[in-house]
Amino acid sequence: MVIRIAAVGDVHLDEDVVGRFRPALEELPECADVLLLAGDLTRHGTEAEARCVAEEFGGLAVPVVTVLGNHDHQCDQVPQVVKVLEDAGITVLEGNGVVLDCAGGRLGIAGVKGFGGGFAGRCASDFGEPEMKAFVRTTTDSADRLGAALRSLDCDMLVALTHYSPVPDTLAGEPLEIYPFLGSYQLGQAIDSAPTALAVHGHAHAGTERGTTPGGVRVRNVAHPVIKQAYSVFHVGDQLDTDQVSPIGQSGSQRSWS
Amino acid sequence: MTHHRDIGAGPPDEYVEAEIQRLLVEDPAVAEQGITVVRRERALVLYGEVESPHRREEILRRVSERFPDVPITSDIGVIRAQAPTEIEQLP
Repeated sequence: MVIRIAAVGDVHLDEDVVGRFRPALEELPECADVLLLAGDLTRHGTEAEARCVAEEFGGLAVPVVTVLGNHDHQCDQVPQVVKVLEDAGITVLEGNGVVLDCAGGRLGIAGVKGFGGGFAGRCASDFGEPEMKAFVRTTTDSADRLGAALRSLDCDMLVALTHYSPVPDTLAGEPLEIYPFLGSYQLGQAIDSAPTALAVHGHAHAGTERGTTPGGVRVRNVAHPVIKQAYSVFHVGDQLDTDQVSPIGQSGSQRSWS
Repeated sequence: MTHHRDIGAGPPDEYVEAEIQRLLVEDPAVAEQGITVVRRERALVLYGEVESPHRREEILRRVSERFPDVPITSDIGVIRAQAPTEIEQLP
């Protein structure tokens, strides 16, 4: 069983970008069963920018599944943005999942935007001022919904889609001081609570591509400035051509503080 | 004893750096979180990548407009958007 997954995040569309991705997107059916968008589809989260996303990523020959990112929340037009995307046939996930019938099997995708908070031993705590507790509880709630969505899907292969990072590995290259604004270990914990095959995220423009959760799930940062191509393609499965298999031992960067 | 800077001396570089970093994110005409501001001896250098040449020009225009006396140089690239030539196999 092999399922072919294309993914990109942080495309930040507006009128000045429409058309740049389309030639590469037209090639998708040849190399992928689905396209995942890891949030930050727009610059400011306006309905007009969402229409640019719909024009660029709508009407493709493969299903498109997305989560929103922090930029997509900037103008408080999330319902309008979601509607424009859904009208274009794009599935928008937030605390839920979808199962797609692919040639290689049933692909389950669960998604949330996620939030910050930091990573084990160096994270924010649910303690003190109301603002601090609200910050941490936003992350906890998001991670809980991701975990529940992942565990609820009946499928052959499970993928987690977030905007914020579930691990510090894929943040390597970002200043350590801003890690708590880039992701949370709780997202990783949620991913490890289910038999997840792959976790895909964006948000960290200066990060790196590869990492793993403490539970051994492969994590890929597909932020456009990181992958420097229209999208990355992952062939996930157990019947791969062994000559081309990437050993798990080569993946992931070292934790900066270890 | 606390030393106060002359009003004419302008804010310390570190504050300018912080202000520029915030302007890059909070100015609606820019809204970029992925640009790094680095203080060099002779100028502030902006690094990073954006989605279009227009955005790169807009960043320089807005920063120069707001901080006309600060020497700024830019090494901002436009991210390529070609189809991938290789896939990654994950067993």
